[in-house]
Amino acid sequence: MSGASLSPPKGPAFLVETRGVTRDLGAFVVAAAFDRSGDLAAFALGDGTLRLVEPAASSGAWRSAEAHDGAVLSLCPDHAPGRFLTGGDDGQFRRVRADGVAATLDKFGMKWVEHVACHAGGGGADKPVLACSVGKHVHLYDAEGGKLKTLEHPSTVTGLVFDAKGKRVAASHYNGATLWFVAAKTDSPRRLEWKGSHTGIAIHPAGDAVVTAMQENALHGWRLADGQHMRMSGYPSKTESMAFTRGGKWLATSGADAMVLWPFFGGGPMGKAPTELAGGDGVVCTRVAAHPQQEMVAGGFQDGLVVLAEIGSSRILPVVPPGNGPVTALAWDRTGTVLAVGTETGYAALIDFAKR
Amino acid sequence: MADPTAPAAGEQIPVTVLTGYLGAGKTTLLNRILTEQHGRKYAVVINEFGELGVDNDLVVDSDEEVFEMNNGCICCTVRGDLIRIVGGLMKRRDKFDGIIIETTGLANPAPVAQTFFVDDGVKAKTRLDAIVTVVDAKHLPARLDDSHEAQDQIAFADVIVLNKTDLVTPEELEEVERRIRAINRFATIHRTQRAAVPIDQVLDRGAFDLSRILAMQPDFLTDDEHEHNDDVGSMSFEVERPIDPEKFNAWIGGLLADKGQDLLRTKGILAYANDNRRFAFQAVHMIADGDFIGPWKDGDPRRSKIVFIGRNLNRPQLRRGFEACQAD
Repeated sequence: MSGASLSPPKGPAFLVETRGVTRDLGAFVVAAAFDRSGDLAAFALGDGTLRLVEPAASSGAWRSAEAHDGAVLSLCPDHAPGRFLTGGDDGQFRRVRADGVAATLDKFGMKWVEHVACHAGGGGADKPVLACSVGKHVHLYDAEGGKLKTLEHPSTVTGLVFDAKGKRVAASHYNGATLWFVAAKTDSPRRLEWKGSHTGIAIHPAGDAVVTAMQENALHGWRLADGQHMRMSGYPSKTESMAFTRGGKWLATSGADAMVLWPFFGGGPMGKAPTELAGGDGVVCTRVAAHPQQEMVAGGFQDGLVVLAEIGSSRILPVVPPGNGPVTALAWDRTGTVLAVGTETGYAALIDFAKR
Repeated sequence: MADPTAPAAGEQIPVTVLTGYLGAGKTTLLNRILTEQHGRKYAVVINEFGELGVDNDLVVDSDEEVFEMNNGCICCTVRGDLIRIVGGLMKRRDKFDGIIIETTGLANPAPVAQTFFVDDGVKAKTRLDAIVTVVDAKHLPARLDDSHEAQDQIAFADVIVLNKTDLVTPEELEEVERRIRAINRFATIHRTQRAAVPIDQVLDRGAFDLSRILAMQPDFLTDDEHEHNDDVGSMSFEVERPIDPEKFNAWIGGLLADKGQDLLRTKGILAYANDNRRFAFQAVHMIADGDFIGPWKDGDPRRSKIVFIGRNLNRPQLRRGFEACQAD
């Protein structure tokens, strides 16, 4: 392992103490996200609410939106600023506005809406596309919430992601993943097969590869150009969080006692050892979030520690000290200025990295 | 945090698995549990083929999705849907005290049980409390004749609710109970009508709790001979001299690897040589779990015991194998 060693209490000061705003939200923080403008942060909670706050507003007026009757299971920014999409264990797919008003886009009875995703349009895709997964189905909607189509999978969808251009949507499930063209008239998906239970998915920003997390504490990948398989193993526990760095050079992952970064340049990760950052404490990394502009990754750990690591230099910046419960949510705003942190015990923080 | 009476963050949530054929009375029992005034709240996981409606605040509708682990163990199957559901439920864990999982009529209980041994996240947050099997006294004999699943559901059970006893004669009831005992002598049987059984006999049994293993088998040593065929049977063995841990690990490891597909459940309490503590051991097919569970009581005989429930049990071989684990 490389990287500076952290040894609280004597160790370095944590950034949250001087540049952070924290709250006890009183419920499991399931996810955190910023809206498309980056001016509004949202924390999705196990009590069914969404907590909304403008990080720039120093007064910090936190608002609560009743999003779901149960737990919020998934959260992402909507296509337009000031809005979010959520899925819940009440079987609803909803849109929550900055003023806290929520509207139902679709409902599915007792089935859970486990994943949501949205592409804002532009790039390769003309129009925004919204998506949610319910059991084996992925439902696609237009910007107004009108149903476009339903994509069926061989088993329950465990992860859902759009590619960077919004042309394709990928879903993980048992025995592999499926890649669909959003706009295709005939739905002839590309099946990426590998035996076993795939529990999460990421897609390379340049569309080079799809990577899934697996039940057996390993990752599996497919190089899309030629279907070449990639196997990335050695994790002591399951990878629950994956993120490609901005240019797609690295895939940062949780599941080990360090942030594990696999190289996706110079031929890909096959046969190479990953880079490990912020390890050595024997505490499992639970969340990673790649910086949207620079070669840096934020990592959250089982004990509540959050750090920011610079990949090239392996320099570690301590952000949040341990002691606030396992980190379950980690998100950057659009410019990489503000980091949102949430934990299992309801701790939430917004840390401002802006130059002063 | 929100609710001071909610389970503490470190506390494992108990999970009860309800199995049984369609029409046996599973949902009747489930609704009894849910409506009884015990002041507790349960999250209920049902499948879409359920017979009756379930009236509860927190019901999760699930497709049973069984998959094989890629760990070279062919009978190591787990319920992927349960891993996801337990993960999802833990986000609102202050809202309930336990989880009840109702399986489909034809379900093999092994993947459900194995899920609680195999998945680290599930293991950390929950504990399998007991497998409760509801059977219909009138139709069970025919089911046992024509299906492996009916036998497996009896074999895996910690508690058997022998329901609809009003539909059979006393002689038929004796016979059906004898057939249950032939498969599984270690489960507790409750004879019921309309699934009326005291709830405390079904919940909080601690049947997979290592420290309570073998606590509920009064007729431990009353073995009857069992034929070596495809039917499920149960056997127990006891030895006087202390066990050599290395010999036992080598023997049981080999046995589970070889015969794990036939061995549905294995449980044991062992007295190791030169150790004052009891070692408890259990396995579901090939997946094993064991730990020390505190000292032997003064005056209690330090005898090691082991129980097998499964198919093709070879009594002389198992006995010789266990006896050879004794320290020299």
